[in-house]
Amino acid sequence: MTPIAGGVALSLAFGFGLLAVLTLLFYNKYQDQRLFLVGQRLALGVSFFIFLATFILSYQLIISNFDVDYVARYTSIETPTIYKISALWAGQSGSLLFWLFILSIFSTITILQNQHKHHELMPWVIISLTVTQIFFLILTNYVTNPFQPTEADFIVANGNGLNPLLQNITMAIHPPTLYLGYVGFSVPFAFAFSALVNRDTSPLWIQSIRRWTLVAWLFLSMGIILGGWWAYQELGWGGYWAWDPVENASFMPWLTATAFIHSIIIQEKKDMLRLWNMALIILTFTLCIFGTFLTRSGVMSSVHSFTESSLGPIFLFFVFFIMIVSFGIMYTRLDVLKSPRKIESFTSRESGFLFNNMVFVVLCFAVFWGTLFPVISEAVRGTKITVGAPFFNQINTPIGLILLALTGIGPLLAWRRTGSKSLIRNFTFPLVMCVIAVILFFLVGFKGYVVVSFSLCVFVTSAIMTEFYKGIRARKNKFNESLHLALMKIVSKNRSRYGGYIVHLGIVLMFIGFTGHAFDREKEFSLQVGQVDHVAGYEFELLKLTESERPNHYAWISELKVTDHQGTFITNLYPEKRVYFHRNPDINRRQPHSELDIYSTLNKDIYSIFSSIDNDNKTAFLKIMVNPLVRWVWVGGYILVFGTLIALWPRKEK
Amino acid sequence: MKNNKFTLLILGVVAVTGFWISWVSLNPSDEKAMATFVSVNELINNKINKRIKLGGLVKDGSIVISETNQLECNFVLKEGSSELYVKYGRTRPDLFKDGAEVIVAGQYNNGIFYADELQTKCASRYEGDLRNESSYNLTEVLQ
Amino acid sequence: MEILRDYGLIFISFVLSMIYAIEPLFMSKLVDINKRDDHNSLKRKKVMIYRQIKELEMEHDIGNINDKDFAKMRDELKKEVSELISQIKSK
Repeated sequence: MTPIAGGVALSLAFGFGLLAVLTLLFYNKYQDQRLFLVGQRLALGVSFFIFLATFILSYQLIISNFDVDYVARYTSIETPTIYKISALWAGQSGSLLFWLFILSIFSTITILQNQHKHHELMPWVIISLTVTQIFFLILTNYVTNPFQPTEADFIVANGNGLNPLLQNITMAIHPPTLYLGYVGFSVPFAFAFSALVNRDTSPLWIQSIRRWTLVAWLFLSMGIILGGWWAYQELGWGGYWAWDPVENASFMPWLTATAFIHSIIIQEKKDMLRLWNMALIILTFTLCIFGTFLTRSGVMSSVHSFTESSLGPIFLFFVFFIMIVSFGIMYTRLDVLKSPRKIESFTSRESGFLFNNMVFVVLCFAVFWGTLFPVISEAVRGTKITVGAPFFNQINTPIGLILLALTGIGPLLAWRRTGSKSLIRNFTFPLVMCVIAVILFFLVGFKGYVVVSFSLCVFVTSAIMTEFYKGIRARKNKFNESLHLALMKIVSKNRSRYGGYIVHLGIVLMFIGFTGHAFDREKEFSLQVGQVDHVAGYEFELLKLTESERPNHYAWISELKVTDHQGTFITNLYPEKRVYFHRNPDINRRQPHSELDIYSTLNKDIYSIFSSIDNDNKTAFLKIMVNPLVRWVWVGGYILVFGTLIALWPRKEK
Repeated sequence: MKNNKFTLLILGVVAVTGFWISWVSLNPSDEKAMATFVSVNELINNKINKRIKLGGLVKDGSIVISETNQLECNFVLKEGSSELYVKYGRTRPDLFKDGAEVIVAGQYNNGIFYADELQTKCASRYEGDLRNESSYNLTEVLQ
Repeated sequence: MEILRDYGLIFISFVLSMIYAIEPLFMSKLVDINKRDDHNSLKRKKVMIYRQIKELEMEHDIGNINDKDFAKMRDELKKEVSELISQIKSK
């Protein structure tokens, strides 16, 4: 297929989208069932043409048709096939089409899944999803079209190629994972919006979207963690989170989404917090679009984008459009959103959940404040003041620790009211463990936030263990099962709850990793072969310095012997300094790259960077970082995913 | 729980939050927490003393790496027609070269900008990514 | 030549999609989806409440709820379910 077909497919998708929305609006007025079916099918048609356009662009990328501007910019003949495919989301217009692609998949699934359900809600669900598609179709048709032909009056024989910094698996999967999260929230939002318009107060639609919400949340979480992992492995500054505006853009919807996941549990069980939940999902969806906008528009000066474009205003318009329409309709339906039941006691699980929700929102606001600080300060004072990681860390650490504490407290409370007997029974073990921990950590020499953080980790872990213990014991008493069987059964019969506890455990492990950051050490120095230097009690000796010419780059390889302060051999590290496009006569086209080597244990990471080489004197300039406990962040991430999968595991319907 | 207690709780949380955020904003504990982002022109004209963040391009041919210590480097930061002499003494990012888009943070003193932070644009291509480069590898490509 | 083929294929896709989309307009019988949908949603509500009862029993077994509260809440839920069941039966 030629690229022209792709452009036409996008235009057709746009046209079908407008028709679908119009038809469904007519259905709302005239209630003719046939109009609904037509509108539904037109909406499926939108997705069909988007699928077509995506396949066409992918095909152009794979066959390396450099007549398409996008293909020429992001691939070359030498680019490995897998990165030709991942180039689909590497550039701006392609990534917007990819967003549309995922949205179309979700829209199609939603429509097909609900052909016999939610008949009253579906029209507005489809309208909502289609309007979102239309927005992105406006962008890909008129602002940045992925099928734009190459502007050249000669035949382009080879393209730009993908930057070697991006040619690794993590960078290939990080954007799609994040998008699956961002886009995933359009479905819960569509249902919530529809329920709002229809004044539907039953918890049935909440039950339907619970899965979607959890899946979207899972992908968002994985996308964020992958981004951190990539930054740590590839970018070479030794950290995984810099509170960069684009990082924050993905973190904010994660915070409101996590709050939402917790509070819909309450709405589903107790029909409370209707208003709050509605506001949360609107906010989450808006933040997802806003997050996509921040990455693209260059409003903030961040490592991801320095310049401005016409994309920004359109995104901003859509963000305001969503908020004004949603909150506007919410205002007119306030009577319906008043929950019939009230929270009865402070020591109830409901109030614990509500409090945790508020803290999530506070944290989100704090991140928002810091991210938009330059814009706010410029508007208020005329000078643009930027804030860096220390600012965010200072504001967010106490809030994060309060959240950690709540993670332990919440599950120990009962619904409606926790009697004092239960309170004592549930809290004794975790509190005792926590106090012991505090004393121990002080004795070891830790101070301040480190003690608080580690002690809370002990507290939460003890609380989670208490819950597992209670569940297992109950089954043993009732059914006389073995420990192993009781554990399997209790988890399998309460997948959301125990899956959730496992997720919390993952978060605890991640906090352990975060706390290790307080003990990071680094040093920059130079070595010639045979020389040694020391960092944080470790000795580094440069054993060898070799050079190698490889297929697409030139490399200087250093061999570092690492021994500890007692002389025990720890490991060898081989950080490299590479130059890609090294044969290019234009020096400025050559791309240097430091390929790190990391020695990672649960205890600490030894992180080595080959910064530069003095070839004349055969001197290697190195940067060594010793980062304790980083591995716990990744382990915690795996546990988080595992717990979510358990919560998602489908039940057999009786 | 009565409505009053509820509302009181929310107001309490809002008040504490507002106070905490304002307090940190006005009293950041780390000197590197905040930096004023100005243009090179403004900096030179007003000789601003606070912690400053600047953006611009590396002037072609201006990168000078010290013979004795490869970590130390000087270069000229160009923004529009204004130029500024910058000193930076830490590991340079891989993408740092002639014409690169950079952001530096540090202090301005006697005509020299002492930077302790240097960032180059992320290789991920989203906005204006090929603004300064000619479009294709024509030297390798023309047949 | 290739372009003509592509335009042709796209045109055919367009026509087929439009036919698929418009087809319901020619249906003479108005399908009564609403009734079946209501019946389904009642059934789903019933399942939801059964699940809530089970979870209540589990919480009681674990020891989070005392006997008095448990009995009260379970009776409330059982009343809800029996109302639903009679509603379902009447349809």
